[in-house]
Amino acid sequence: MQRISVDIGGTFTDCFVAWGDKYVGTKALTTHHNLAQGFNDALDIAIEELAIDKRTLLSGVDSVRYSTTLGTNALIERNGPRIGLLTTEGFNSTVPLSRGRGYGEGLPFEKQRDLCNAVRPDPIVPISMIRGVRERVAYDGDVILTLDEDDLRQKMRELVDQGAETIVVIYANSVVNPEHELRTREIFLEEYPSYLLGAIPLLLSHQVAGRKGEYVRSTSTIIDGYLHQVMYHGLGTLEMYLRSNGYDKPMLISHNSGGMAQLNSTDALQTVHSGPVSGVAAAEHLSFSGELGNIVATDMGGTSFDIGIVVEGGEKHYDFNPVIDRWLVSVPMVHLVTLGAGGGSIASYDYLHNSIKIGPESAGSDPGPACYDRGGMKPTVTDADLMLGYLDPDNYANGRIELNPARSRFVLEEELCDDMDMELLDICKQIKQTADSNMANGIATELRSRGYDPSEFTTLAYGGNGPLHCCGIANALGVNRVLAPPFSSVFSALGAGNVNQMHIHEMSTYTVLYHTGTQSMLTDYERINTAISELEARGRDDLQRQGMNPDDIKIRLEFDMRYGNQRVETAVETDVTRFNSMHDVLALMGRFDKRYGERFGEGSQATESGVRINTIRVSSYIELDKVDFSHVKPVEDKLSMEPVSSRSCHFVGVDEPLDTPVYDDAALAAGTFIEGPAVVTTVNTTYLVEPDWNFHASHRGAVWFFRKDGK
Amino acid sequence: MANVADAKNLSSEDKEILEKFLKANQLFHGPDQEIMNNHGLCPRSEEEERILSVEFDPHMANLCRGRILAALDESHTMVEQMGVAPGAKWGDIVTTIFTANGDMASTGTHGLVAFASVVGYPIRFINKYWVDDSSVGVHDGDAFIHNDSRYGNIHNTDQSMMMPVFWDGKLVCWVSSTIHEGENGAIEPGGMPSIAESKFDEGLKMCPFKVASNDELRRDIVTFLQNSVRDPKLQLADMKVKLHVAIRLRKRIHSIIEEFGVDSLIGTLRKSLEDTDAMVKERIKEIPNGTYRINTFLDSTLRENLLSKVPMRVTIKDGQMTWNFNGAAPQYTNRSINSVGASFKTCLATGLTLYVWPDLPKNQAAFAPIDVEFDENSLLNSSVDAPNAMSLLAIFRAFSLPALTLAKAQYCMPKRFTAISAPSYNQPATFVYGGLTQHSEITGNFCADINGNGTGGRENKDGEHALSPVFGYMADTGEMELAEEELPFVRLVSQKLAKDRVGFGKYRSGQGYEQIATVRQSSEFGFMSGQCGAKFSTAPGLFGGYSCPSYPLAKIKNINILETLAKNPEQFDFDMVELMNAQKIPGGKYSTQGAMNFEFCNEGEIYMICQGAGGGYGDVLDRAPEMVIKDIEDGLLSQETALRMYKVAFNPDNLVLDLEETENLRQEERQARIKRGIPYDEFVQSWVKDKPPEGVPYAGSWGDDDSLLYVNAPGVPPRSIQAGSEGVMLANPKDLRISSLEQEVAQLKQQLGAN
Repeated sequence: MQRISVDIGGTFTDCFVAWGDKYVGTKALTTHHNLAQGFNDALDIAIEELAIDKRTLLSGVDSVRYSTTLGTNALIERNGPRIGLLTTEGFNSTVPLSRGRGYGEGLPFEKQRDLCNAVRPDPIVPISMIRGVRERVAYDGDVILTLDEDDLRQKMRELVDQGAETIVVIYANSVVNPEHELRTREIFLEEYPSYLLGAIPLLLSHQVAGRKGEYVRSTSTIIDGYLHQVMYHGLGTLEMYLRSNGYDKPMLISHNSGGMAQLNSTDALQTVHSGPVSGVAAAEHLSFSGELGNIVATDMGGTSFDIGIVVEGGEKHYDFNPVIDRWLVSVPMVHLVTLGAGGGSIASYDYLHNSIKIGPESAGSDPGPACYDRGGMKPTVTDADLMLGYLDPDNYANGRIELNPARSRFVLEEELCDDMDMELLDICKQIKQTADSNMANGIATELRSRGYDPSEFTTLAYGGNGPLHCCGIANALGVNRVLAPPFSSVFSALGAGNVNQMHIHEMSTYTVLYHTGTQSMLTDYERINTAISELEARGRDDLQRQGMNPDDIKIRLEFDMRYGNQRVETAVETDVTRFNSMHDVLALMGRFDKRYGERFGEGSQATESGVRINTIRVSSYIELDKVDFSHVKPVEDKLSMEPVSSRSCHFVGVDEPLDTPVYDDAALAAGTFIEGPAVVTTVNTTYLVEPDWNFHASHRGAVWFFRKDGK
Repeated sequence: MANVADAKNLSSEDKEILEKFLKANQLFHGPDQEIMNNHGLCPRSEEEERILSVEFDPHMANLCRGRILAALDESHTMVEQMGVAPGAKWGDIVTTIFTANGDMASTGTHGLVAFASVVGYPIRFINKYWVDDSSVGVHDGDAFIHNDSRYGNIHNTDQSMMMPVFWDGKLVCWVSSTIHEGENGAIEPGGMPSIAESKFDEGLKMCPFKVASNDELRRDIVTFLQNSVRDPKLQLADMKVKLHVAIRLRKRIHSIIEEFGVDSLIGTLRKSLEDTDAMVKERIKEIPNGTYRINTFLDSTLRENLLSKVPMRVTIKDGQMTWNFNGAAPQYTNRSINSVGASFKTCLATGLTLYVWPDLPKNQAAFAPIDVEFDENSLLNSSVDAPNAMSLLAIFRAFSLPALTLAKAQYCMPKRFTAISAPSYNQPATFVYGGLTQHSEITGNFCADINGNGTGGRENKDGEHALSPVFGYMADTGEMELAEEELPFVRLVSQKLAKDRVGFGKYRSGQGYEQIATVRQSSEFGFMSGQCGAKFSTAPGLFGGYSCPSYPLAKIKNINILETLAKNPEQFDFDMVELMNAQKIPGGKYSTQGAMNFEFCNEGEIYMICQGAGGGYGDVLDRAPEMVIKDIEDGLLSQETALRMYKVAFNPDNLVLDLEETENLRQEERQARIKRGIPYDEFVQSWVKDKPPEGVPYAGSWGDDDSLLYVNAPGVPPRSIQAGSEGVMLANPKDLRISSLEQEVAQLKQQLGAN
């Protein structure tokens, strides 16, 4: 297999190249002014390692695939166009008021709770750029108030006169009856034809998000419109670069749904968070390829700790209303939870309980931990790691950052030792243990609230600080094995290379399977079957438009179901793709009961209250070749290796320092077996083998940690 | 005859005999005032004393506390995911852990702390009465349910499930799950009856009783409860939710015990409370000694207009803080707006931890060190016989009062724990509804609009529009498309910010929003709306800021707006003021009122309500002119009001500021103020009266004397009563109306006879 996959992050552009049986992962700085340049730099390193020329590589690969945080950055930097919003009259304040809770989306709970300091994020669409249009459609699609076209033309003109560069249209219940949104586009094109210079893009909400919920559909459409040009220009530059260097196939873009599509079949909204989501995709691929079963994927970086879930058997965990930046949106996104915990998390004295508190504040990468010597004046988790002897001050981040232990010591003593009346190293151990415990709690909450037990999962630890803290997290979580995956420093790029071409289409529905009041079951099969067929057709059209063979298209059908009038639905994947009898209805309800019971406890089901489908979701996809990672499984061989040096390290639960052997990159050779305690410092990361753990390297740089007394 | 009231006259032997006899022959385990009057922490139990009397590792406790919080967060997520009641959907929920004694030790990061605090009372009740009662008992696998606020609850529309957690056969703690359920079989649908004239109109009144054994609900009891409410499927489904959430939480607590040991769990729960208690005492010591006062007023009993006094006096002396509410209006023995004292205190605690010390842990000790003084039988501390189904009117004040009163104390302090802020709006309006849906389901509940209130202006910035309810954070106003899918009404105006409806100030408040709704596809559906603030502002300004406006409910009956929209759409304006003033829809019966008791709504009739604004902060003349212009641009302020209120000069065509002229206008206004001013003594002489003016419906103390309450209510002769006496019975407004009509008829007859 020949393939290139790229993850363009805020700081680094990661590249993973599969060239036959050679796999190469490289990194270069992201060049925001021209993304092609950073990609070129990363590619040059790969070319050097593979000893081939660029044109040969680019003309020889089956695809080039991108995941990118470009959209996230554009939202943070606010460099999108001026947007005008047309909405149903009477709903003018829906977006500015953000369901009341919009002030706190994406913030830690301490800030959510501090109402007297609560401030909503700066709006993407200011109030002055919102206009209500006289029209109204009811929940069932009936038109209550016919679109007032004169009013519409007037409101359009006002927005254009106020400098709108993009118009978004969000009418109430347009997902049930889009007649007024479609007519609005016709009128807009009459007034402002697309052939005119400076033609203004217009987006219709029902085409961006298919589910009910006027606020989340609004934010989705607004963000889609806001990112459209930025993403188009950024990715267009990359495509031109590829073309001029011999690549003649469509460029593929990773989506936050865990799939991908060609550039011309991609909404901007679908690309946001596609980088971290690709990490989960890589975990899924490793799970399948290496027969690893359930996996909880954890990415511990400098400022955050991402948690993703991969379940054996292919059940997908999505967020249907995820938060993007500070905005609640409506898009099916692979479930990913981000905790404010990383190497840069600040440790502070908890006066209340005479203890240590970690975060939520972070020193981030600028100024970074105190030991970076860049002005950081607060002790961080990394400072504690350094004091405990885990990090090599002269060989951190491949020598890119020289660490200053004196700065760490100073801030730890200044900020914590006096208040806590404790020795420096004891405090550092508490920092390490508290940080690990917090992350373990985050993982446990994630898994358990979905009905899983952490002991049924293999923990995957990647990101800059993942292999350093994974044993401590596993101790707190009560699990016995951890995998630091191959190519962990370019893991998202690896993931982007292993996803299917996929499109997800959703439709809101009010389909009662069992009506408790009338004691009746669904018999109108035609209505729901027609809806499923329509969604399947849309997915097939998407894929065939991109040149896919119709025979290769696969369909996955899900229903969001609920008992009575529950708010949150449970997604139920089903092989009942058409309803033909009550047996089919019963089968689906049975499946729902089973999944619900697994998640919330047997006996918690409430079929007596009625059962209903609220959303129909169809994933249409083409299964594509994957990079082979079957060799990541634990190996039988146990090869010993001499350490390159040793140093004194301090561990939680061990009073005295331990003389700890130190290993280098050579330890990543398959079969290397090291008993803890040990430190393995490689070009890309530091592996900490705590005293109760063993290190066992597998193929392609994968490393397993096993608890010594674990089964 | 001798009874307990004569105890002081009895010999000790007789007293003992009498007490023993009464204990053995107790007719009814009613609300226990010894429990209900104590918001403090229980003394350390023997176990707690044993564990904490030796060194207790704070780091281990920290790790243990982290696990407990994770378990609570998991269980909270479960309620959110599984809950059926609208309250569960939009944030009116909590899961909680208590010490074995019933002290509320922690909620998760989310959830309403007010809901959690009150559950300590029924747990103490169970500990006191049911543990040793052979007919009940408390065993592993049991669960108890409860909703009656007289035993500890905010109001009877909330239901809690409480589960004991045992380890090695010993009770180590309690866990609970609470949801605002809504419908509870009261005289009006939706669980918050405004016309309840006695406690027997309030629907379900569950004292704490066992509803599950061996982790299984008792179907006979569930059936009884379902049979008592309008929405039996809601009752069943959410009982299952609460039970399974408690089971999950208990499972996690067992894991924590396995990991850290049972002593660590018990010690951590107690130590967290004691740490918080110590911290609060330290903070109180830092506040300057003094007395800080505020008087506020409810303007409605939900049946008549009546100003009911709600005063607060904070006294800080030598590290002790006392909150005194003496002189409040008396309880109304046949109105639903009375509050149980324990409920009111819980809301005060929430106000303190939301708006003064939001960094404190969410546990009972955050409020325990504060002394609270009430008159007996008052509006805020009513007797067990007084109805209290709509205590929200009184207790919503409790969320605002602490920050408002302490703002003055805090202003001079070097360290504050959040910004000083004028109050958020505290009388949220919502459609309480009931009837038959378009899907042939009977329902009764309320809408999530209660979660969108304007916040007050702050020391450093404007308030935020429609942000969370006054009692919590990250609550949700929801999606109207989803609400319309389930319920037979259409919000013609869903959320709209109106002009000029803020608390003005240097930093103005945030606004609430306006709503216009009508019924569609149901011939049996109606609304109720229970709040005050239609006549008298409920959110006062701070340090010179203006109060929020008053907000009447408006309606247009005898029309079908759906037909109008189809045939004559130009007759409908998407604006409450326009609709009511222009009255363009022919044949409509236009009216405004304060609260609205439940009434049926014919398809197409229009109901209009507003969420309110908070209070303004600081002098309007100090407001930055640029911020005034921004409000005009955003349609939040009219040009006329900008000039009149803020004295800002600008070009009305292009809104370009004239700063020089603005300064002139403001100087003129300052001079005018000086001219209007009079010496303080003169003001007192002209302003202060001996008693409330006649003709003003009023109840409560007047002036400095808290012991005498004046009552001047419609249909009741004006009088004064001693604070703490039995309360006041008000006339039935319908009787008054009938009487008035009868008089009119008699007069007309007389006139006709004369003619």
